[in-house]
Amino acid sequence: MTALPAVLPAVSRRPAGVVAAAVVLAAMAVAAIAAPLLAPYEPDAIDLSASLAGTSGTHLLGTDASGQDLLSRLLYGARTSLVAPVVLLAVAAMIGVSLGLLAAWHGGWVDTVVSRLTDVMYAFPGLLFVVLIIAVFGGGMTTSVLALGLAFAPTVAKYTRSVARAEIVKSYVDAYRVQGMGGFRICCGYVAPNLARSVVGYLVVLFGEALMSLATLSYLGFGAQPPSSDWGLMVQQGQASIVLGALLPALVPGVAIAVVVVSFNVVGVWAADRLGTRR
Amino acid sequence: MKLIPALGVLALVSACAGAPSGARTTDPATLTLTDLTPKAAAPVERVNWLVESEPDTLDLDTQGGAPASTVVSNICERLLQVQPDMTIKPWLARSTANPDPKTLVLTLRDDVKFHDGSPMTADDVLFSLKRHADPANEQSDEFGRVASIDQTGPLEITVRFTQPDALFTQALAGDAGLVYNREQVEAAGKDFGTPGSGDACSGPFTLSSWKSGDSITIKRHDAYRGEKPLAGEVVFRWASDSALVNALATGAADGVFVDSLATATAFEGKQGVDRYFGPSTAALVLIPTERGGLKDPKIRTALSLALDRQGISDAGFGGLAQPWATPVGSGAWGYAKEAFAAAQKDLTDAPARPTDADLVRAKQLVHEATHKPSGPIVIGTDSKQGRTVMANAARDALRRIGLDAEIKTVPTPKYSEFYGEAAARKDIDLLVADWYISKSDPIGLYDNAISGSSNNWVGFADPQYDQAVQEALSTLDDSRRAALVIDVQRRYTQAAVWISVAQVPNTLLIDHELTGPPASMAYLYSPWAAALGKKAS
Repeated sequence: MTALPAVLPAVSRRPAGVVAAAVVLAAMAVAAIAAPLLAPYEPDAIDLSASLAGTSGTHLLGTDASGQDLLSRLLYGARTSLVAPVVLLAVAAMIGVSLGLLAAWHGGWVDTVVSRLTDVMYAFPGLLFVVLIIAVFGGGMTTSVLALGLAFAPTVAKYTRSVARAEIVKSYVDAYRVQGMGGFRICCGYVAPNLARSVVGYLVVLFGEALMSLATLSYLGFGAQPPSSDWGLMVQQGQASIVLGALLPALVPGVAIAVVVVSFNVVGVWAADRLGTRR
Repeated sequence: MKLIPALGVLALVSACAGAPSGARTTDPATLTLTDLTPKAAAPVERVNWLVESEPDTLDLDTQGGAPASTVVSNICERLLQVQPDMTIKPWLARSTANPDPKTLVLTLRDDVKFHDGSPMTADDVLFSLKRHADPANEQSDEFGRVASIDQTGPLEITVRFTQPDALFTQALAGDAGLVYNREQVEAAGKDFGTPGSGDACSGPFTLSSWKSGDSITIKRHDAYRGEKPLAGEVVFRWASDSALVNALATGAADGVFVDSLATATAFEGKQGVDRYFGPSTAALVLIPTERGGLKDPKIRTALSLALDRQGISDAGFGGLAQPWATPVGSGAWGYAKEAFAAAQKDLTDAPARPTDADLVRAKQLVHEATHKPSGPIVIGTDSKQGRTVMANAARDALRRIGLDAEIKTVPTPKYSEFYGEAAARKDIDLLVADWYISKSDPIGLYDNAISGSSNNWVGFADPQYDQAVQEALSTLDDSRRAALVIDVQRRYTQAAVWISVAQVPNTLLIDHELTGPPASMAYLYSPWAAALGKKAS
């Protein structure tokens, strides 16, 4: 019973919006993890006699055209919709942080080449780039995540380069050099860990955009494929029901995407401010 | 605190956001199929009509499809013509005769003029038929039994066959019977049928303009020999799904023959737009493929027994599709309608809703099957709502009889490739499909299952079936052929070569003030807009 009074002052120091957003994200994470326990039905179980049903005690959020329970699909879909952006950002971070550090550490022509390369990729519309990759290697969630990871990498690289350039002029880096430590060891062992807070804060800000991009690809038919209950795919599948007067199949996943994206943005901006990421 | 009203609005929307109760589905048993809409009483200056997409070409020898046919059927005429009740009658050919079973003589009308004023000659007809028969063109398969086509008189064409072909006269009422002005087609060359080229035809409307990406306009041909159209001009634009619904609901469009039954469902009980349902040859089917998961007829029959056809119709097609035991709609009954209707009722392996006894029998068939699937049965579809429901229902049926199944969904352009390319189907066992035939004769569907047919994907092989089909195709007498076709149908459905799901009515949505077109699928092959006009005031 001593834990709650200890936590309350910490919570009260944060803006209400941030607390609400964090609660929403925590709830979504719990829902995703506990989906098999919380979902009243299997996500792909059909009931043709309950097609496009509205909200009821049997189906709290209604059903889609095949009579699949929207709440169950939403809960299972949270797994794909929340995990995929994490993988995407991990790919983007691996490539982007490496390139950014490389450019900042070496400077000179290496910096010029890496910077121009990221400028070119930055200027190319990300979604178009991803669609081109999918056209070559085929659609699906894995391709979409990897392709979007590549598309996000220049953004991360540019950010990493800028913060790394400020970091490598600090005196501790010169001190390690004087001690005869190699550039690779200083860079990976000391500079990179010092950038971690800042880069992670930046990635949190990017999470909402990553989720939205993946949902867009699934909506366009390039990402997750049925019978997956990915939220973007659910919006696409629910769209046809709108002309029949059934809004829930598109509305439920659409609202879920909007709520999670806004929540991540609110928490991300707050975290970035705290971590000194935003400039 | 602004969150509370927002949540309140969301809750209200959520509470009301299911499909309106009782307004979403139609009982197929009460669905009345009509051949014609009421006759129009007054002219109309301009009508805005929708097709689902912009045609790639108006040259149906190059590429067919409903959007192009919807336009061309008003501009061009055929040697024979499909009537609203799906029977056929001579048209540009004044009469047809069979002096012997292997010879067809067409006597041509002498009063037909093309839109440029030149008369239709036997040479134009000969040119047109040979153009359709070109192996590079869409209609060439209709000429498979044709040995020769010759001009045998000033207004006479004689077609000789290697063996009798009961379907050929049917084909002449379709795209294989289109008659073009030879001079104009040759002058246009490869540009024929593209925006900017003329129409080279003789129908009640002329092609006025085709603004690529915007619209196609046809105008009344005042010099037409027959009854003049009531509509001055018809402007075609393209839209589908919600755009189509909005265009009709707001009056931006006056009518459409719809491709998606969901669109028709949206107008149930709505004022301002009338709905008509007519006979069609189209049917929803599940087509087993070369991959072999449904190679065994017992597995296919088991799936047919376990499928919830009524559920598919209600959930995927607003109750407008009718559970059906054969893979071709009643619009194909261009003759011997009563015999075909009676035969349909005798088929028991395609229940509307599976009973417990059906499921027991289905499981027994799976148990007895000699070629059981080695892995999950893969069902191929695109993400269209109706087809998604069919795929889900097929997977559910397979699971209920103890077979594993999964769904492979592809984008619609790739889905279209499933129909034409074996390589595209290599990863699926079962295609969720809709299929229609251009002829008012069920044998036009059943000949797809003979050995070696390009549409016999599953490799069904039965010499007795092949012989029965050949005999039916060679029988020119309608009543005798009907008996033979019913026998072929029995063999086909027993083997469940394709798994029939439902027949799909032809659906016309039209502004309440307008009337006249056929409600049946005949619109694809006859000048439906010629009868389009205003209702009596």
